[in-house]
Amino acid sequence: MTDIGKVKIRIPSSIKQGDVVRARVLVLHPMEIVERKAGKPVDKNYLFINRVIVGYAGREIGQFEITQSVSENPFFSFAFRATEPGQLKITFLDTHGGKYEGTADVKLS
Amino acid sequence: MKGRMEEMTITRRAVLRLLGAVGLSAAALPFLGPPPPARAQGNLANLVPEEPVEATLKRLFAGRPLKDGASAIKLELPIIAENGAVVPISVEVASPMTPQNYVKTIYIISDKNRRPMNARFNLTPAMGQAFVAANLRLGESTDVRAVAELSDGTLLQARRDVKVTIGGCGG
Repeated sequence: MTDIGKVKIRIPSSIKQGDVVRARVLVLHPMEIVERKAGKPVDKNYLFINRVIVGYAGREIGQFEITQSVSENPFFSFAFRATEPGQLKITFLDTHGGKYEGTADVKLS
Repeated sequence: MKGRMEEMTITRRAVLRLLGAVGLSAAALPFLGPPPPARAQGNLANLVPEEPVEATLKRLFAGRPLKDGASAIKLELPIIAENGAVVPISVEVASPMTPQNYVKTIYIISDKNRRPMNARFNLTPAMGQAFVAANLRLGESTDVRAVAELSDGTLLQARRDVKVTIGGCGG
């Protein structure tokens, strides 16, 4: 996984002020699952994303806490109210201290 | 006597300082605070516990009643998931999303996964709509629940069963 942490964000191309629009976000990440040996879970520091922070125009508008029950290369979608032009910034934090960020410019038309 | 007084002053100061520190950390606790430093967070002890779903519900909601929210929550899931490793789910809760009345949290819980607590989405009124979607891993055919916690503390639940042909998680 050389592309680990690559983030893609899709938002609608034309947004009017005050619209509630949906963003779709994809991040490349292995999201390791718990390994078992003879039925016993192996204790190690599993590599998976456990927190997603959604920021818009410099403010934090949501925070997701996720587990290994989320698929490899996690996909998320959520809504936000486009009140002003600004940057939509999604930050992914994983259990090994990795921080991956993706941004999309929200332009109002 | 003087010595004792000094001792008392220091003690009181220390106590006040301690209280201040506690207050500060308590203020930083709400979810908009900075995330905790990532260090060995992936170890077994730090994962959500492996438990039956009843224990999960008890742990998360402490026996608060889960109201039937089938009319308010639109839960979209495939009826049959051929591949349990990628099961798309979307949850939409009817809510005005104003600062007075909004959906605070959406939980996704799959009953038969080893670790039923799958994801917790903390929302704010700035999102305009209580909608989230993700891809889940499901170990076997199971009920999947979406629980919405409203800003007034009400808990709404919707559930659907999903048939999983090939399980998607070893853990």
